Amino acid sequence: MKISIDRETLLKPLQLVSGVVERRQSIPVLANALLKSDKKSFTLTGTDLEIELQGRIALEKISEAGEITVPARKLIDICKTLPEKAQIDLNFDGQKVIVRSGKSRFSLATLPADEFPKTEEFSATLEFKIPATDLRSVIEKTSFAMAQQDVRYYLNGLLFEVSDNQLVAVATDGHRMGYSSIEAKAPGMAQVIVPRKAVLELSRLLADTAGEVDVLFGSNQLQVKTDHYVFTTKLIEGRFPDYSKVIPTGGDKVLIVDRDILKQALNRVAVLANEKHRGVLFELQAGTLRITANNTEQEEAEEELNVNYHGGEMNISFNVTYLFDVINALNAGNMQFTFTNSDSSIRVEQEKSAENNNADVYVIMPMQL
Amino acid sequence: MFNPTPHQPAIYWPRAVILVDMNAFFAAIEQRDRPEWRGQPVAITNGEQGTCIITCSYEARAYGIKTGMRLKEAKERCPYLIQVPAHPHKYAKASTAIMEALATLTPTIEIFSVDECFLDVTACQSLWGTPEKIGQLARQKVLAASGLLCSIGVSGDKTTAKFAAKLQKPNGFTIIPPWETKERLCHVPVTELCGIAKGIGNFLAGYGVYNCGDMERLPISILAQRFGNLGRRIWYMCQGADPDPVHTNISAPKSMGHGKVLPPNTRNKNTLFVYLLHMCEKLAARLRRHEMHAQTFFVGCRQQWGDWLGKKCKLARPTHDGKIIYQLGQRILHEAWQGQPVCQIQVTALDPQSDQMQYDFFERPDPKRELLNQIIDDINARYGEFAIAPAPLLTRSEMPNVISPAWKPHGHRQTI
Repeated sequence: MKISIDRETLLKPLQLVSGVVERRQSIPVLANALLKSDKKSFTLTGTDLEIELQGRIALEKISEAGEITVPARKLIDICKTLPEKAQIDLNFDGQKVIVRSGKSRFSLATLPADEFPKTEEFSATLEFKIPATDLRSVIEKTSFAMAQQDVRYYLNGLLFEVSDNQLVAVATDGHRMGYSSIEAKAPGMAQVIVPRKAVLELSRLLADTAGEVDVLFGSNQLQVKTDHYVFTTKLIEGRFPDYSKVIPTGGDKVLIVDRDILKQALNRVAVLANEKHRGVLFELQAGTLRITANNTEQEEAEEELNVNYHGGEMNISFNVTYLFDVINALNAGNMQFTFTNSDSSIRVEQEKSAENNNADVYVIMPMQL
Repeated sequence: MFNPTPHQPAIYWPRAVILVDMNAFFAAIEQRDRPEWRGQPVAITNGEQGTCIITCSYEARAYGIKTGMRLKEAKERCPYLIQVPAHPHKYAKASTAIMEALATLTPTIEIFSVDECFLDVTACQSLWGTPEKIGQLARQKVLAASGLLCSIGVSGDKTTAKFAAKLQKPNGFTIIPPWETKERLCHVPVTELCGIAKGIGNFLAGYGVYNCGDMERLPISILAQRFGNLGRRIWYMCQGADPDPVHTNISAPKSMGHGKVLPPNTRNKNTLFVYLLHMCEKLAARLRRHEMHAQTFFVGCRQQWGDWLGKKCKLARPTHDGKIIYQLGQRILHEAWQGQPVCQIQVTALDPQSDQMQYDFFERPDPKRELLNQIIDDINARYGEFAIAPAPLLTRSEMPNVISPAWKPHGHRQTI
């Protein structure tokens, strides 16, 4: 294999791939990136056996086809520290990969390409195109609610559901849930659960992606493709709980409050919330919301807000972290809370108005009073 | 009776701390109750079958018998040794009576262990008199409450008070006024102080610090870098200025667990699982008694003189139900134990937390189980531990409960 390439062209896909490569792994080849070239293109691949990311570069100057793996981290660090616009030559001499640029020369240890884990055969059961910003938006608005190392393994990921020309993303750790949906020209119906790490990696990837991406659902894999990369992840097998049963519908006590005012009050009260369970108490009365918190040192914080509330008097307690997560996922303006009673879940969303028909819904489970 | 001497006018101490340390506590209680044992070598073991000495009387100590020694070895040293099975409830009662009597002197009392406590009497000097006088009062209170003798150390900080109490035993009384502490500690090896063991001792020796007096030359930052706040405290301790206050509230537990020694070389699954159930139920009842839950548990059994077989596991939601902990324990042991001979079992809640619970969408507490546990707890509170219990526990071990040195009359440590 022998190619010549400029630094910037190589660095971008290389950095994408590096996110997938684990820093510490048990199989040495997983620290490596697979470099592969043929007459038309050059690809770089990284994998952790769950997620695989392949970066593609179209090049004319390939003089020799071939494939080999090299330590990903070291190749990135070399490329990063070379001067801008530098021309880089990669040459595999049968033993080492020689990197040359100007008067710099590096020789990298290699492992044969056939030791690199093979990509599983991917057969799509459903396929659609969606703007990268749309896909990223539903992830950003829900992924914070994913569980982390929960014994209910199917919660340690994000549910994507396609139906009725809609893409729905749902995440929950049992204490709170995020639901976001967006229009997508997708045929058929399907559900997949994407593992936590893949969701975070995909979100990072989409942040730099313009235009549309191809999304492919497989029976045990999900693929997201552009001209520049192919992102593939295994899925979590298992059944995601029926989210529609979690979203409460019968609540009759409605609170409307400005997002930023509430956030500022919570920021102050949270200073004195219990360090472990982070509980804050909402005391609701017609027109006012009193928020209080106290900690094990018997210190207390209290805030009173004038709000739009006409339900009956009610006290309810929350983990303040869950409230912050939802507040940060919503846009500025009024937010709407719908309560049923002190130990039932509450529904939080953007206030409905003519210019806002955002369908995202958040559900938070309270704490015992 | 204890007027200050005419030559020495009473001086108000800027800080006054008293350490009360019971002498050979468990053995002294047995000797108190059996006059014929007074003046005799007495050793306490865990039940009749216990082979390890928990503590012994001063008469036994004269033969070189120590806590932790095997009974067989002790009998070789002293054939007339009187073996007494431990009575944990009696010791707990005596300890409670003593601590309550001492609490009438000052509310600032830290119960350091079952037979030791610190009193901060700084603010009581105008009420009770000099720290020396309060120390004598403490000794009288202990004697009146329990009929037992104690050693007392009076000084300006906790570490020096503890050091002072150790100087004269049994029935000792040592005063080191705060203005003398630095001088008195100067030639004392640092490892004599409570809290400085071999590890820290070796570290200090590396810097040429052997005696407390050497500490002054060492910059405090060296200790702070290596041991953090504890290091800073050690630096002050050695100079007779331990800043640690007398802690009155019992800090929240970091973990809570129960373990038991199994019959030697246990291979029988039923035996092992009855012990497991026993420990799970005991732990669950204790969590409930202190209005706590836990979500992460360690369950394991120890191979004969060897490693632990087991691991820690997290549940979907916190619990204080023995049945759920037992199910988890069964799962762990099924995985980790393949019939090897084992000698010990342990069940520990690693993240005990107060009952203020976060509700979950999918896992709701079972109201029937909650009610059942509440009724069981009420019955057992009235008729004794395990008066009502899951049926397999009918065949549980008869080995008596052991009192922990960390036992306290209040809070989560009040378990035998």
